[in-house]
Amino acid sequence: MKPGSKLKSAVCDTEVMVIRGTDGVVECGGQPMVDDKPADAGEPSPEFAEGTAMGKRYVDEAGTVELLCVKAGKGSLSLGGVALSIKDAKSLPSSD
Amino acid sequence: MTQVMKGVKVLEVAQFTYVPAAGAILADWGADVIKIEHPVRGDTQRGFIRMAGADVNPKRSPFVEHPNRGKRSVGVDISKPEGMEVIYELAKTADVFLTNYLPRQRQRMKFDYEHIKAINPNIIYARGSAFGDKGPERDFGGFDGTAFWNRSGIAKAFTPKELSGPISQGIPAFGDSIGAMFIAGGISAALFNRERTGEGLELDVSLLSTACWAAGTSIDMALDGTEFPGVSMPRSGGNPGNPFMGNFTTSDGETINMCTLTPGPHIRSFFEHIGRPELAEDERFSTVEALMKNWEPASDIIVEEFAKKPFDYWREHLKTYSGQWTPVLSLAQIAQDEQALANDLVFEVEPADGGDPIKLVRGPVQFNHEPVQTTRAPEASEHTELVLMEMGMEWEQIEKLKELGAIA
Repeated sequence: MKPGSKLKSAVCDTEVMVIRGTDGVVECGGQPMVDDKPADAGEPSPEFAEGTAMGKRYVDEAGTVELLCVKAGKGSLSLGGVALSIKDAKSLPSSD
Repeated sequence: MTQVMKGVKVLEVAQFTYVPAAGAILADWGADVIKIEHPVRGDTQRGFIRMAGADVNPKRSPFVEHPNRGKRSVGVDISKPEGMEVIYELAKTADVFLTNYLPRQRQRMKFDYEHIKAINPNIIYARGSAFGDKGPERDFGGFDGTAFWNRSGIAKAFTPKELSGPISQGIPAFGDSIGAMFIAGGISAALFNRERTGEGLELDVSLLSTACWAAGTSIDMALDGTEFPGVSMPRSGGNPGNPFMGNFTTSDGETINMCTLTPGPHIRSFFEHIGRPELAEDERFSTVEALMKNWEPASDIIVEEFAKKPFDYWREHLKTYSGQWTPVLSLAQIAQDEQALANDLVFEVEPADGGDPIKLVRGPVQFNHEPVQTTRAPEASEHTELVLMEMGMEWEQIEKLKELGAIA
């Protein structure tokens, strides 16, 4: 994976930009992500079907990979079979 | 909506509602607004978990969407010199620099007007503050609850003296949202001036100046020595001197506001509509002079008539009345109001989570009768790489800055 490059899900509409890459295999919907989406796209597997959200960044626990979702889809992202989690802003609790 | 600000680039180094909402107005109008956010925390506004006593869903927070729709977010730690270098690079090609950081912070981190002007001499440098950029309190932070509502005299002006203390602002970001439009207006004028003269300038709007302008007629009267009797407690009845002005309670406890400032031409229509046409011939009320003099008996009769029928009856029935009036609605009701919707006051954006569209209120100005078309607020740091690469930064440099924690 080359940082700055884009990857597409093989099984849903998800597209990501690689922000930080590794040699590992990134999957979406349980299937390895690809450069070009195949015509006969299958369905995301049920374990990886929570969906992706546009604009969110997805990371693994070790911080070796960071993907920016540029198009949302039904599948969810994983690295070598381990689900990635959303990197959210750690905001300071405030109240009006 | 017609993109009147298309091609204008705004660099926003600001947080909360007031100044970012000015950026949102400009984004609604077509400007490319780049919002700088802290790499870890994002805009402090993202941490608002309660507003007006109600819990906020952070994924669909109006506190984030209202002031930030249509922007791109770039995560930069402006307290690091390497981060500030990124700001300088972005400022080189910006038309407008928009900020609400305090003077001492702008000086410490070196992004005050003098620093940005040195990089881009023709830039419009727009500041929003609590109390203004001059005077002993220029370095005091504040919110609309302080500077706009309480400091300005507005809270007291809204409070009947029978109450034990001043009433509170009631609507989160009320003063912020008004002031934001003032900033956007000022920036528009500054851009127009630059178009004609080629020169940039600095401009200020404060929450205090926003409030003073909004309360200007009363403040002007006070300056001229007028002493106000103050507002009265809520009641059903006409105002002293003009019974066609005032709130009237309906049989089901709702309120109709009659607001006919010049009652003379509307005497017949008014009495016909409250079901008492004969009173238009009554010498106590048949001329404007008599009506104003005899406002008390007129008010008593009007109160009595309004109390006989329900709100929905009056709302429909008064549509043919020749003078000015309105049903008193709630904010939830106005969001569903036929007239409000006919004027595109509400528009939708697609949320990041793929859920139902988020409905938002548009800015007050509409061009060519066209509704706003824009996108949701960005996630914190959503567009860092995109914007920096657009600016010409190499990926290696982006990675280096990330390792330093200068960007995210």
